[in-house]
Amino acid sequence: MKRCAKCSQKAVVYLPHHRIALCKEHYIEWFERRVERTIREFRMFSKDDRVLVAVSGGKDSLSLWHALHRLGYQADGLYINLGIGEYSKLSEEKAKKFAQSLGRTLHVIRLKDVVEDIPTLKEMEKRPACSVCGNLKRYYMNKSAKELGFSVIATGHNLDDESATLMGNVLSWNLGYLQRQYPVLKEGNGFVKKVKPLCLITEKESALYALLSNIDFVEEECPYSVDASSIEYKLLLSQIEEKSPGTKLRFYLEFLRKIQPLLKREEKLELKPCSICGEPTSADVCTVCRLKQRLTLSEKGQGS
Amino acid sequence: MKLRVQYRGRELELEFEGDKVKAKDLLKAMNLSREYAFVVVNGEVVEEDFYIREGDQVRVINAISGGQG
Ligand SMILES: [Zn+2]
Ligand SMILES: [Zn+2]
Repeated sequence: MKRCAKCSQKAVVYLPHHRIALCKEHYIEWFERRVERTIREFRMFSKDDRVLVAVSGGKDSLSLWHALHRLGYQADGLYINLGIGEYSKLSEEKAKKFAQSLGRTLHVIRLKDVVEDIPTLKEMEKRPACSVCGNLKRYYMNKSAKELGFSVIATGHNLDDESATLMGNVLSWNLGYLQRQYPVLKEGNGFVKKVKPLCLITEKESALYALLSNIDFVEEECPYSVDASSIEYKLLLSQIEEKSPGTKLRFYLEFLRKIQPLLKREEKLELKPCSICGEPTSADVCTVCRLKQRLTLSEKGQGS
Repeated sequence: MKLRVQYRGRELELEFEGDKVKAKDLLKAMNLSREYAFVVVNGEVVEEDFYIREGDQVRVINAISGGQG
């Protein structure tokens, strides 16, 4: 039996790449300290900032919100209901219940009310559901944060998400994406600052924190995400990690330390306010407004 | 023995020889790695060598998710 490194009680969690075993109480403390240190190290935000957490109802976003709240940050949530049947219903329920237990506000947007639900959009658009969905989530996240007066948006992206994305971007040497792959995206040009406080936390660590903190999170997967290539990369990385613990963390951190600075030579992407909604875009009309236009056209087409 | 396992909002039924099974063998049977998955028995996270017996309340958490956020 392993014992907690802090109090020598029975350990419930062993973290191979940190070579440390911890009891429940000290694991929760370890997790929150690691999140706090990440926030400080990357200068994400301070206790004076109003932080809007992008909440999906899954373990990462709820763990993030929970940790921020316990660390004394002013964090409220934004839930975007994608209109994906039972999955969306269940995740909204869990997000709402969780907000209540924290005593913080959860803002809710229904895609069906502002544009259209994902199943309908997937039918209409000729690109993967995840791409349409990600596009809309980023748009409404940014727009709502500004309207509601938040200075920072925090998302639950974890180390597995980041290292899998990194792997994908490296395999195709996608310099544009690599340039922007940083846990902090500065504000400006109509964008609110965006941060990823769980970027050094693995997916398993996040699930363990949620479980040990009695957080009721959605375990079901989004029915559209099952074939996502990011899962393939996560599985590959986990095989390497199993043989040499610490690989994922090193892969990501050394990228941030050694490669990212070399890519900083930012190509100046000309952004201007969308002529319809005012959100930043490189074209005259932003992708979401163009999507809405196509939607109106196809509805008219159906009506006649 | 038969084991009912809560997994991603569903209940699976798995069959094992003998009257107990190690948590790591359960993960193996489900084709999951301890890198991203773990076993919860009667509400407690258990070690890999923990023996699960018939009648235990078992939940397996697979932390890997595809959607971002
Ligand atoms: Zn302890
Ligand atoms: Zn627009």
